[in-house]
Amino acid sequence: MKKETKTNKFISIPFIGELALSGARPLIGVFLGLLAGAGLIALSGVNPLHAYRAMLEGAIGSPQAIANVLVRASPLLLGGVGVAIGIKSGVWNIGIEGYMYAGAIGAGIIGIMALPVAPIVHIILAMLAAMVFAAVWGFAPAYMRAYRGVNEVVATIMMNYVAIFLTSWLVHEPQFMAEPGSFFPMSLLIAPTAKLPILMKGTSLHPGFIIGIAACVIFYLVLRFTPFGFRTRMLGVNPIGSRYAGVKVKKQILLVLLIGAVLGGLAGAIEILGLKMRVYMDFVAGVGYESVAVALLSGGNPLAVIASALFFAALKAGGATMSIQTGVGAPMTTIIEALCVIFVIAVGHGERMRLRRLEAKAKGTEEVQENDN
Amino acid sequence: MTIDIIVDWLQATLRWGAPLIIVSIGEVYAERSGVINMGIEGIMLFGALAGVAVSFLTENVLLAALFSIFLGALFGLAVAYLTVSRRTNQVVTGLMLNLAALGGSNLLFALLSESRHERVARFPILFPEVFHNIPILGPILFRQPVSTWIALILPFLAAYVLYRTDWGLNVRAVGENPQSAATAGLPVIKLKYQAVILSGIFAALGGCVLTLGEVGYFASGGMTAGRGFVVLAAVVVGGWDPIRTALICLVFGAADAAQLRMQTAGSVIPYQFLQMLPYLITVIALAGVVGHTRPPKTWGAPYDPKDV
Repeated sequence: MKKETKTNKFISIPFIGELALSGARPLIGVFLGLLAGAGLIALSGVNPLHAYRAMLEGAIGSPQAIANVLVRASPLLLGGVGVAIGIKSGVWNIGIEGYMYAGAIGAGIIGIMALPVAPIVHIILAMLAAMVFAAVWGFAPAYMRAYRGVNEVVATIMMNYVAIFLTSWLVHEPQFMAEPGSFFPMSLLIAPTAKLPILMKGTSLHPGFIIGIAACVIFYLVLRFTPFGFRTRMLGVNPIGSRYAGVKVKKQILLVLLIGAVLGGLAGAIEILGLKMRVYMDFVAGVGYESVAVALLSGGNPLAVIASALFFAALKAGGATMSIQTGVGAPMTTIIEALCVIFVIAVGHGERMRLRRLEAKAKGTEEVQENDN
Repeated sequence: MTIDIIVDWLQATLRWGAPLIIVSIGEVYAERSGVINMGIEGIMLFGALAGVAVSFLTENVLLAALFSIFLGALFGLAVAYLTVSRRTNQVVTGLMLNLAALGGSNLLFALLSESRHERVARFPILFPEVFHNIPILGPILFRQPVSTWIALILPFLAAYVLYRTDWGLNVRAVGENPQSAATAGLPVIKLKYQAVILSGIFAALGGCVLTLGEVGYFASGGMTAGRGFVVLAAVVVGGWDPIRTALICLVFGAADAAQLRMQTAGSVIPYQFLQMLPYLITVIALAGVVGHTRPPKTWGAPYDPKDV
């Protein structure tokens, strides 16, 4: 009985219809999230229309604003695609925050050195160091998840806290990275040769978003067209079946989590080399968790990550302007982010119910027809 | 001298362990009913803020505790509606609740900013002064706030309810096999709601105990510092048993207390490495027990009444 309905579902729902449903779902969710956010803004005594207009202005009102959005989008793009690959294979990679710290440490160590090399070489070396550091950092939870079956959500989150404390230690005197005599513990400034170029005068626009979008496109192609991508998707759809099909499940999970770690490390490096120019405690401040929201809104599709990362970055950038103009606190945008994702997943249930009703209806008519015959 | 240090450490262990134990009780019930409430970190955060806010405004800790319980029930209801009625993914729901709670608590705390780092009225000490002078036991047990005593008694009460009452049996049945439970006439959805709402209540109360039992103020940007996730690990390590989970929570509390003591004692180890200790112990403990404990059968799986 149950199997029958399942096969029916695949046959009776036309492909285009499913696509339309899955495409509309995030949009409906985002709309409801913004609506609920408007309600909260109204509760705090501010006209939500004013607040959203300020937000829009802060996000796309000027070239500087757009540059700001792109700068904020860089870590979200890389972190988001890292989490998205995990979602595709059925594992939760919540460790982006920690990978970003590990990457920042790696990039920072290479970055503060005065190397007699061309800037591009210095930048690449720093980024490579970041990716290696993050991979080493991510290996422990990834191995425990893949080979020991430890819950990856708790393990990666615990490692995030450990990473923050490690960073704190490294930027305090007398460690070699620390800026001597500074009031606030931080690392030395990175060398001029390690700084990412500024693409637009008067802003801090660095090429991070290009790297991020490239990563999204590359991983879209990898997931779509390579055997590795196929194994990843198969693992997510049917873990038991993929084991029978000869996928080395443990190795695959390890690789997927490590890819997320490497991407997170790169995101941390770009933040340091392009924007912050120093390593310090709390420099990430929640971007890692927002990457999870980005990936969830995208439904695990790397191309959709581009859209959702830009959307969340615009929300954040606009939130700063909203806060200045209307007095609604900037953390409101974090709430709106979370609400959007919650509505997206809750709308998903409504869809399933609608499919089921359609199915029952279709089956009902079939039965009627059978009776007529 | 050394005895003093150990006594002081044990006393702090109970005080730091108490919020974890209280939060863990609710989570044990929720997970026994099959629902992992990953949002306890966020609910704890809100309970912590609500406790400080109400205590600051009214100087009445009982009112503070009641208000955080009320808030926790609301959050529990939201989680139950999403994960049970709308069958959303439990991990996603919890993580997004945590994200919203982080934003929300920062937002609300900014409104109360005059109380920033100002100590508010805290939970009173239960036993009169006379008991405090009993050697060793005095400071460890009797110089504790009411909340610690609640945390010490609660696991036994919770175990009794879970194993010896009809309601407890029903919750366990729902988590093991909701279909048979429904066939036997149990209100599966209602029981899951009750268990999840309990997890919200205890999470908020635990947060309130964290601020009003120990520190007495709220710090913006992650007051709970991952303690909700530590509790999630403790429930797994404790094998979904209230008493064993409470003991594991005490171990984590001991790690927390030890790192704080060692920080102030000026140890040779940098304090950041001591701060890592509770988190590392959590991961190691999780890795150690895998395969040795068995989760409830439908742990984390959504329940669809139409599945037969």
